[in-house]
Amino acid sequence: MELLVTMIVNLLVDMGPAIGAGLAALTGLGAGIGMGIATGKAVEATARQPEAVGKIRTMLLLGLAFAETTAIYGLLISILLIFM
Amino acid sequence: MLVLFDPSMQMLAISEELSEKVFPKNVIEIGSFAVNDSVISGFIVVVALLIVALILRLTIIRKWKTTPTGGQMFLEWLVSFFDKSADEMTEEYSGLMGPYTLGAAAYICCGVLVELFGLRPAIADVCACVALAMCTFLFIHTLGFAKNKHRRLKHYLNPINIITDLAVPVSMTFRLFGSILSGMVIMDLIYIVVESIWYIGLPVVIPAILTPIFTLFHALIQSYVFASLTLTFVSEAIEPVPKKQKKKRKQKGASSAAEPSV
Repeated sequence: MELLVTMIVNLLVDMGPAIGAGLAALTGLGAGIGMGIATGKAVEATARQPEAVGKIRTMLLLGLAFAETTAIYGLLISILLIFM
Repeated sequence: MLVLFDPSMQMLAISEELSEKVFPKNVIEIGSFAVNDSVISGFIVVVALLIVALILRLTIIRKWKTTPTGGQMFLEWLVSFFDKSADEMTEEYSGLMGPYTLGAAAYICCGVLVELFGLRPAIADVCACVALAMCTFLFIHTLGFAKNKHRRLKHYLNPINIITDLAVPVSMTFRLFGSILSGMVIMDLIYIVVESIWYIGLPVVIPAILTPIFTLFHALIQSYVFASLTLTFVSEAIEPVPKKQKKKRKQKGASSAAEPSV
């Protein structure tokens, strides 16, 4: 039993940063859902009012940049965990 | 194609090779005064931008015509694009914000595109991003206080707004830094992996296809996003009077109008 615990602890110490990096990559999940919703709504809006394409595009890009931010934070954290 | 004799060993070699490239290296180091390669490429970008501006001033702008040539059309489009969006968002300060956003966007865009010449991108260093974000932060607050004077302090009666304002430069810094660094790391990874492929032509074709996605796309999108976010925050800061007061006034007006009738 003790051997198993020490083994698990050693494994966690060795692989901790790697596990953390993997967990940090989960931020992509929320960003993906958010970007999908934003793009879908933009397509709907364009279909409803094709003459407003320019305004919709700028708003969509801004929204995508905001949604992408969380994914970028996660990526940054996992890069730092892997290479630091 | 990809020869993996010992996958784990190869992965280790790749990650070691990458970790050298992720963080900037100090080129000049005198005591606590250190200059890394990102700073040097940043200065190269600044000098290149100044020279290009001088050349454009001396060639195209001197021969300004009513029937425009290609270069004139491009310049007009570029300047009026930023001026127009600055006009829409920050009405009276557009003379200040238009040139600032154009300058910041040009620096970010060219600072990332230096990567195509084999230099380290100027923006892939936290300090460059902090500097740009602090410029925006100062613009937001100086213009906010210049427009609303002491009335802007009422905005801070709600302490959450202090945190919201302090989070702006941090989030702008890490958005810029993260996206540029990730693009650079992915491109470096591709360059390293491509070296081990000895299939004729592929080492040339693969980076040529992927560079526009990870470098060009990122450069243009991030510079546009930085400019439009700056304008959004400034326009938020120079909004005349907080909305809550307007509502109260309306309610008061409604109640005072209702009282006499009752």
